[in-house]
Amino acid sequence: MASPSLDVLLKGNSSRNVRGLLRIIILCTIAAAAVSSRLFSVIRFESIIHEFDPWFNFRATKYLVQHGFYKFWDWFDDRTWHPLGRVTGGTLYPGLMVTSGVIYHVLRFLTIPVDIRNICVLLAPGFSGLTALAMYLLTNEMSSSPSAGLLAAVFMGITPGYISRSVAGSYDNEAIAIFLLVFTFYLWIKAVKNGSIMWGTLAALFYGYMVSAWGGYVFITNLIPLHVFVLLCMGRYTSRVYISYTTWYALGTLASMQIPFVGFLPIRNSDHMSALGVFGLLQLVAFADFVRGFVPGKQFQKLLTAMILIVFGFALLGLVLLTVSGVIAPWSGRFYSLWDTGYAKVHIPIIASVSEHQPTAWPAFFFDLNFLIWLFPAGVYLCFRQLKDEHVFVVIYAVLSSYFAGVMVRLMLTLTPVVCVAAALAVSHILDTYLVASKPSEASETKPTADNNQSGLRSTRNPVVGVYSYLSKFFISAMMIVYLLLFVSHCTWVTSNAYSSPSVVLASRMPDGSQHIIDDYREAYYWLRQNTPANAKIMSWWDYGYQIGGMADRPTLVDNNTWNNTHIATVGKAMSSREEVSYPILRQHDVDYVLVVFGGLLGYSGDDINKFLWMVRIAEGIWPDEVKERDYFTARGEYRVDDEATPTMRNSLMYKMSYYNFNSLFGGGQAVDRVRGARLPAEGPQLTTVEEAFTSENWIIRIYKVKDLDNFGRDHSSAVAFDKGHKKKRATKKKGPRVLRTE
Amino acid sequence: MRLFAAAAVVCGLLLPSSVVCAESDLSSTRVQLPNDFTPPQVFKNLNLLRNTNLEKGYVRETVDVVVENVDDKPQREYYLPFPADVFGKIGGLEVRDKKSPEKGRFDAEAIETDSSNDINYYVVQFPDALAPSSQITLRISYSVLSSLSPLPATIHQSEQQYLAYTFSAYALSAYPVDNQKTKLKLPSVNVPDYTTTTGLKSGQDPERQGSVYTYGPYETAKVAPGTQYPVTVRYEFTKPVLTAHLLERDIEVSHWGGNLATEERYWLRNNGSQLEKQFSRLEWTVSTYQGFPTSALRELTFPLKPGSVDPYFTDDIGNVSTSRFRPGKVPNRDGSLELRPRFPIFGGWNYSFRIGWNNDLSLFLRKAIGSSGTYILKVPFIEGPKNPEGIQYEKVVVRVILPEGARNVQWETINGATSNGLPSLSQIHSELNDHKTFMDTLGRTALTLTIENLSDEARSSELLISYDYTLWDGLRKPVTITAGLFTVFVALWFVGSLDVSIKKR
Repeated sequence: MASPSLDVLLKGNSSRNVRGLLRIIILCTIAAAAVSSRLFSVIRFESIIHEFDPWFNFRATKYLVQHGFYKFWDWFDDRTWHPLGRVTGGTLYPGLMVTSGVIYHVLRFLTIPVDIRNICVLLAPGFSGLTALAMYLLTNEMSSSPSAGLLAAVFMGITPGYISRSVAGSYDNEAIAIFLLVFTFYLWIKAVKNGSIMWGTLAALFYGYMVSAWGGYVFITNLIPLHVFVLLCMGRYTSRVYISYTTWYALGTLASMQIPFVGFLPIRNSDHMSALGVFGLLQLVAFADFVRGFVPGKQFQKLLTAMILIVFGFALLGLVLLTVSGVIAPWSGRFYSLWDTGYAKVHIPIIASVSEHQPTAWPAFFFDLNFLIWLFPAGVYLCFRQLKDEHVFVVIYAVLSSYFAGVMVRLMLTLTPVVCVAAALAVSHILDTYLVASKPSEASETKPTADNNQSGLRSTRNPVVGVYSYLSKFFISAMMIVYLLLFVSHCTWVTSNAYSSPSVVLASRMPDGSQHIIDDYREAYYWLRQNTPANAKIMSWWDYGYQIGGMADRPTLVDNNTWNNTHIATVGKAMSSREEVSYPILRQHDVDYVLVVFGGLLGYSGDDINKFLWMVRIAEGIWPDEVKERDYFTARGEYRVDDEATPTMRNSLMYKMSYYNFNSLFGGGQAVDRVRGARLPAEGPQLTTVEEAFTSENWIIRIYKVKDLDNFGRDHSSAVAFDKGHKKKRATKKKGPRVLRTE
Repeated sequence: MRLFAAAAVVCGLLLPSSVVCAESDLSSTRVQLPNDFTPPQVFKNLNLLRNTNLEKGYVRETVDVVVENVDDKPQREYYLPFPADVFGKIGGLEVRDKKSPEKGRFDAEAIETDSSNDINYYVVQFPDALAPSSQITLRISYSVLSSLSPLPATIHQSEQQYLAYTFSAYALSAYPVDNQKTKLKLPSVNVPDYTTTTGLKSGQDPERQGSVYTYGPYETAKVAPGTQYPVTVRYEFTKPVLTAHLLERDIEVSHWGGNLATEERYWLRNNGSQLEKQFSRLEWTVSTYQGFPTSALRELTFPLKPGSVDPYFTDDIGNVSTSRFRPGKVPNRDGSLELRPRFPIFGGWNYSFRIGWNNDLSLFLRKAIGSSGTYILKVPFIEGPKNPEGIQYEKVVVRVILPEGARNVQWETINGATSNGLPSLSQIHSELNDHKTFMDTLGRTALTLTIENLSDEARSSELLISYDYTLWDGLRKPVTITAGLFTVFVALWFVGSLDVSIKKR
């Protein structure tokens, strides 16, 4: 097949160079594919920051770029959580912002003044290109096959499970954290393999970077010790493990403690205790190993048992004592919700109210990983077959992350890398088997056929179709190629349809097929930014806090950094109570404007009425006597907004603000809420303490101004009634039915 | 750079006076006057006709006056008085000889006086001194910005808007006036209130003719100069009163790309009546549907030069999707960029945004004849929206970014026979500085021109800039980049070939 000219390229010394070059070209192409498949939203919409959290990160980055690093470190933000404020510099993971800040300044230095917004938007795609490269390196450590690494890089580059968090504009911590995760694992494997301090140190450094970038670093903090622990249990203690782990732990812990938000957590928080425990255990094992060289076997056994018992006893006692005395923080709520999926719903509604904290639905696995998900077990099985130290790592990683991915949608992200590794191992194994394997020599083949000749069917007597035939090779490789092609088209489809919407801007199609952009969010935010006083306090449900801070540049009461449950509950209470109850709350918190999201006109389902029950639940958690979830359901337990809605529901501020004036839009007819498919009561709600200040074009955002106290000292309802010309209702005397006077 | 600037100064001095050298600071030429200054009474105004045009969102006045020298010496300094509160709002003042407008504009300078003075002056220099008892007819035109006040100050969303304008029935003059008349052109016939004067003339005053109101003629030979008789007109103006309190306009010349990039940043405000209550989307939807006139800004139309491409319309938080662009056609069909702000802009509301587009440079730049490296750039001074209600700019900063290494920069505005809406050159503050951007070593030469009080009358004005630019200037950037990359590669090679291993050899 191969022409002589190709032979020159593919064999011998020059072939190594050619293959190396090819490899580099392929890797660059993969990186380019990874970047470009994330640009759908930029091409379709514009270079814009997506969703909710990224708006905060973007705002923080702008602050960093404007005011410098030290100001950023000490940043106290008085424009959020009014009137509490937030010690932002000390309560965030600065890695992301610092990364883009550094890129910004490097480009400035090279006199390429790129706008900080574009850097932020394109950071995630850029880093996903790097992730693909890191994946190549990691997988190459697992397999000797030349194709495994490249396949893993491709998978990682375009798999929707990762794209979901790293499209252009999704400027979130995960954008750089997944790269750091994979790269830290690569360095760790390298360290374990070589027993080298250098690799251990590098792993620690990247671990430190990871800590500065994402709260998910705890995953590494627990996975690496677990790896070491399993290795110890398998009796695989070597000096390589000792050197790499101690180096990583000591330096990595120090590095992680440099982040103010993490601070002393690594030695005080239960989440981090396993790393410390394994560190201690490793010392003991090393000591035992050392002692074994001097003590005879029998005595050593006894010594070992005694030592293990004593040390474990002390360690356990110490841990319990420290936990009880409060030096070591107990497990956090988020942690419990990892083990018990129902925990959050009962105890911390605010965690449960976030959609990405819900348990994963089964189709999501296939949706996000396509054929990788069924290759995944095969890949893990292949790891078992070899089971070197690094394969143990993959196995542990696979087990842990598949559990976590099942518990929380969000953790699908940590599962994706290991799925890519395992699937790449499996695919490369299949390809190697069928493409590279050559026919064994005739001699070995004839022998069994001779035996077979005696018995069996005629068709099996002389098998023409064997594993080594071209037909089977062709069949299997064609099948694999079809799967790979399907994977690519699936990834493209998912990325383009599911993960590329900025969610700030909504797209719809006009009847003629042209794109129509619904830009209500920005319309309203920009109105706030331009036409309200710079210090007007905006109250909204916490989902919109970051966006208001970022786009409208106005102080908010609560935002997506849900650190103060009580404050959020206060807002929830104000939204879910009657006006007379809410108004004092609004006054107490200096609220000037209230912003609600209403999708009833357009059929936009992510609106506040649909989120309303969470407000009620969270408020009920703090004021169980005043707010009751049951009151918002009809007697039959239905959540309704139409004629049958409960009085509590219809009197709540949220309901009133959502549907205020909505009736008049329908002329004489009955108003229809298109989200809930409900026909609204004929008479719309009346507002007395707030007045409509702005409603966006499609009514998605409605902003209400909180009225000032009445000039005559009346309460607002009577003031409004007076303005309307209603007479003050006197306590009329009870009259009986009129009777005809007959005398 | 300093050297070039100095050279530019020298060149500037050698050129005719209408060409202004970019570096010279002209504000120092203003004259300081004593507090109780009164202009020497050397002139007499025989006849004065004032045309006040109120059709737009600002006041445009044209005063035709026949001036006679009553002194016995030839005179050339004519003083134009303005009340102190109006003085700072005068824009685009231009004085010409009405009989021969092609002679160009006369130089008019603002005179600094003590701020406590209630009358301030512009002084107009006649190019040729006016001989005793000879006459000249002056045409003085200017606009008065932000002098229309909405009355009532707050209206309901769908109500009609009324503006009030207060002025003096006697035109303010530093000299005695024999006869005078004021013609008011109003935008509509709906004029609910206007002052009727008593005792100024016989018969009805003012006289109405459709939407034109005429005050006068008055015989005011006996009236002392400076006498005022306040008059107010209140008329319907259900259109936005657009004011840009700042317009920044960047024009960037790229020789390599053959491109002229323009970007304009507006800080708009509607100075009309504010909303009495809050904004109601419902009413707005209904009135838009029915096409009622409104005092809110719905849409802006920017005519762009033929051949303009790649327009964009963004604001602080990203792209605004509600815009339409109809490309023009070279040579003479203008393109049109129609913008709809994110929300309607009612009285008292603000909206800031930026727009930009590209043009083929060859339509605006050419090499000077007979020179090796002198280029002449001709661009519109301002473009801006074109609409019946007009727009006023409180401050305009035009920055022309020339290629890196351009020097010997001179500029002038083109003065034709008619007004170009710009004030005289002494009112334009110019500055030359460096603008460092994409991979510049020296920084690009940027000419910044600042004008206060401008109106959309200046749309037709054009700016001429000449500068020197050699081949080497054009090659500087590629050479620098090549050298930089080369250095990096050499450094990498050097570092890579160092052996820092601690192994035994």
